[in-house]
Amino acid sequence: MFAVETEKLTKRYGKTFALKNLDFTIDDNEIMVLLGPNGSGKTTLLLILATVLKATSGSAKVMGMDVSSQSTRVRKILGIAFQEARGFWRHKPADILRFHAKVCGVPKAEREERITNILKNLELWKGRNKLFMHLSGGQAKRQEVAKLFVQRPKFAIFDEPTSQVDLRGKRQIWEQILKLRDEGSTLLVATNEVREAEYLADRVTVLNSGTRVVCDTVRRLKDSIAGGDVVELELDATDIGGLLDTLGQIEGTVKIADAGSNKLKAHVSMAESWVPRMTELCYENKARILSVRVTEPSLDDVFLHFAGRGLSDES
Amino acid sequence: MRNVLRLVWFDLKTELRPPIWIIMEWSLFLVQVLIYGAMLSQLVEGIAEYRQFFAVGLVIMITFDLASHTGRHFVEHAHEGRLPYLLSLPVSRTKLFIAITLQGGAELTLMLAVPLTVTLFMLGNLTWISIVACIFTLFWLGFGVAGLMLGLSFIAFKSSDLYTAIVTGLSTIIIRFSTVLYPFFALPPQYASAAAFSPLTYGSDLVRYILGFDHRILLDPMYALVVLLALSASTLGLGVFLLQRLVEGVKSA
Repeated sequence: MFAVETEKLTKRYGKTFALKNLDFTIDDNEIMVLLGPNGSGKTTLLLILATVLKATSGSAKVMGMDVSSQSTRVRKILGIAFQEARGFWRHKPADILRFHAKVCGVPKAEREERITNILKNLELWKGRNKLFMHLSGGQAKRQEVAKLFVQRPKFAIFDEPTSQVDLRGKRQIWEQILKLRDEGSTLLVATNEVREAEYLADRVTVLNSGTRVVCDTVRRLKDSIAGGDVVELELDATDIGGLLDTLGQIEGTVKIADAGSNKLKAHVSMAESWVPRMTELCYENKARILSVRVTEPSLDDVFLHFAGRGLSDES
Repeated sequence: MRNVLRLVWFDLKTELRPPIWIIMEWSLFLVQVLIYGAMLSQLVEGIAEYRQFFAVGLVIMITFDLASHTGRHFVEHAHEGRLPYLLSLPVSRTKLFIAITLQGGAELTLMLAVPLTVTLFMLGNLTWISIVACIFTLFWLGFGVAGLMLGLSFIAFKSSDLYTAIVTGLSTIIIRFSTVLYPFFALPPQYASAAAFSPLTYGSDLVRYILGFDHRILLDPMYALVVLLALSASTLGLGVFLLQRLVEGVKSA
């Protein structure tokens, strides 16, 4: 059984489709990252799974429970950190966490310890008694995700968990998200930050215009782009032209060209197997390798490859 | 049920730290009754002790005002992002709706504590029975009005300006065309016909009946009670329906 499963899930606002016949699964105890540009349907999917929005058609199940007909039971095992931390302007961070922990059934004996630890880990301890409206954007975002780290739900949903947060804060939040997975939770993280996706994802689902473009591990997604890896070589050799033909015969070579000044640039698939073979052939042809630089495709390249446009492009 | 009480208390406690709005409401009531009410009492003929009649009318208006704010708060919560959070908590929709209205009821009780005590004192009727009976009646009136405003709040998801215009207009009509400030028998026929549709007519006459006003100037109390209970039940039902069907389906949520 999948931890989360949707079948032909559709959400329509008037004539606009936010989600269109989406089939999607998350395995138990994995971090699934939803990657897509603004308006791709990420937040809509999260809100439907969190039972905040109702789908127009199709079905969605969390731990085997239907989000529409068993919504109260679903909410007992999930938690969601929203994209924008808003709403409790006149409350203090510590009070908000305490309230959330109580309502979500965190045992009384553990409550205060968890709250204290998270406030300290996310550097909110000093501001714990400030009013929420006096927190900075980054602090408010930390406060939003802190709710889930205190709750530790079986299924945790994060919508852009580190937007507005500085680099140090991003690291702290990522560590807590990984810890949550290690403690047994299943996580769904929506983001349009490639670095965040690469750091966190067990698997990535790429969404575009409400439909699933592709879903796999980061490694396999990158490897699936033919010629996605770029190898730049600097050689000490006289017959570059001959070597160009020889290296072009290596399995996985998509394109190889003379880049001038004894340099070659190759677009290959699976650089990890291409580079050792290239080294052997250079040795056999008595060409000394002065430097090798391998660049693998980013998830933005993956998105561009599968969706035909970049993550940052407006639709 | 503990979660319902937690939801109610979480917001309510911020109103009490410090309780500025509550004290201002109390002060406003005292000024109105002691100064404006005393002056009006000199001008109005045909009702003995009009100041007492006026004081009860003010209590009813405060009830209406606060209950209608519940609907407005609901819409504000949706736009501020609090509603999606509340909808994601492990609380059923019905309990969440009850918590929202109970919170309105609790705020109402706090706001009315002094005005009601003063009114009962002026009437020489400051007993536990009259306090409980008044609170019960006002609570149902508030519940009904809050439900009505929540029912209208779905308009605000389309246009908050339209919602403000409708609620302001409706509030004006409901208060003016009612027996809040004038007894039913003194109203011109067209005015009385309109007042028969205002929930405040039934709320104010029932409270005045409980407080021992001359029953000849009031509507039948059983009739008033039935209307109030019917209003509460129907608007609450509508509110739960809207919460389940509309709020979960609109983009702004």
